[in-house]
Amino acid sequence: MKGYGLFYYIAEAFRGLRAHRVVNLLAVSSISMAMLIVGFFLIVFFNLHGSVTTIGKQLEMSLYLKDGLTRHEREYVYSLVKAVPGVKKVTHLSKEEALREFRKELKGQDALLKDLGENPLPESFEIAIAQRYADADRLEAMAKQFMKFPGVEDVSYGRQGVTVLTRLFRLFTYGGLAVALLLGVSVVFIVSNSVRLALYSRDKEIELMQWIGASRGFIQGPFLMEGLLLGTLGTGLAIGILTGLYYALPQELVLFLTGPKGLDFLPTEVVAYMMIGGGLLGFAGGLVTVGRLLD
Amino acid sequence: MIQLYRVSKYYEGVPALRDVGFVVDKGEFVFLTGPSGAGKSTLLRMLYCAERADEGQIIIQGMNATKLNASSIPYLRRNMGFVFQDYKLLPNKTVYENVTLALKVVGTHASQIERRTYQVLKKVGMQAKRHLMPPMLSGGEQQRVAIARALVNEPQVLLADEPTGNLDPQSTQDIVRLFKDINMKGTTVLLATHDMEMVKKMQRRIIMMERGRVSDDGKQQHVRPGAPAPKKQETR
Repeated sequence: MKGYGLFYYIAEAFRGLRAHRVVNLLAVSSISMAMLIVGFFLIVFFNLHGSVTTIGKQLEMSLYLKDGLTRHEREYVYSLVKAVPGVKKVTHLSKEEALREFRKELKGQDALLKDLGENPLPESFEIAIAQRYADADRLEAMAKQFMKFPGVEDVSYGRQGVTVLTRLFRLFTYGGLAVALLLGVSVVFIVSNSVRLALYSRDKEIELMQWIGASRGFIQGPFLMEGLLLGTLGTGLAIGILTGLYYALPQELVLFLTGPKGLDFLPTEVVAYMMIGGGLLGFAGGLVTVGRLLD
Repeated sequence: MIQLYRVSKYYEGVPALRDVGFVVDKGEFVFLTGPSGAGKSTLLRMLYCAERADEGQIIIQGMNATKLNASSIPYLRRNMGFVFQDYKLLPNKTVYENVTLALKVVGTHASQIERRTYQVLKKVGMQAKRHLMPPMLSGGEQQRVAIARALVNEPQVLLADEPTGNLDPQSTQDIVRLFKDINMKGTTVLLATHDMEMVKKMQRRIIMMERGRVSDDGKQQHVRPGAPAPKKQETR
């Protein structure tokens, strides 16, 4: 097809869009409605997931040491702890430092510590845990492992909080995936059917091109491009509406609904993926439709 | 140029064509005639591979149309021109664009498209209306554009299925004259019609079909005396 490549297909696709503007407008509207729902879901998902992840990043564990450990013994425990997978950072907290911290926390209520004789607080290691270990089962296993180390008195971490966090994380991840799958399937149907409806009205054109000797590729090219454009335009419109709504919502209402963190818009790469996805779905819809009309 | 050997076609067991056989030589002008339902359109559809024969062989320009695979069919069609009763023009493209489409389909270089389109539109007398859309033209004018589209690739064979079926007598005469001119320049023409008046005037070879069979293949260039003029109806 010398001389009639991509440029010809694009020009023909735009001509097709113009010539059948009513049916194409309907297709773009349906696609944008479907993608609007996807976009709305993604905004909610990313914001909730982001909050849970932030909490997960701040996860710490305290490892209390027995009294009277020599420096050599302490360093040995430190090296054992540091070698455990999932341990991001280990900070030593001496008895004195622990008391200082405690006093700081009880600021204004120093009277409670007035009658304190000897410092009762144990020296400890404060361990920052890698985010991928923010899981109740893993943390439990890690705590048990620490308890076996010589010189360790006790291990403490927000067990209950971690369990809730883990459940929330799983809920958002798997629940999000399930909803995304359902939405994805619906969107595939909506987008491809919209493109199909738009292209089915062109059966005579396709038939004629076959009669005058057009190859399959020559006939398909403009229609696939048109499907791609319909998908991209529909998705672009949805993202435009979402952006408009995002900036139009009063800030007070957003803060009331979300708390001090506020509401983030979709990450740029997700917007890009949505545009590519919408375009590809339109392309696939065109491929199926023209394929059927050609056979 | 066109050879048919014992060609049969059945629709759900009912024969539409039975044992059809004839040869059309290069440069011939042949009328395919007969009453409605005789099988003329079915036969033409098989010549341009819109239908496949159930039995027999069809050889067109050395290619066996009954054995062509789907991807080769466009290449057979590029060497043939088709003219239909209902013109089959794209209503959202101008006269010029309808004709250039046939050139683009075969990959004609952009630099040649304008010249060749203008020449062929001039030949059919439509160059002045090249920027109009088909719905703005009369039936005769639309058929001229359809003929221009069929001719623009300079095919060796032109197949026409009731090309004057929707036209008034004056337009019919003009279109017939056009076909005659095309044939004079060497293009083989096979024209299906049930307009016996037109056939009589032209004095060309007539292949008469009845109930799916060739009932008469008049190599002699006249119409059988007293042949009944079939009713003017659309053929199958």
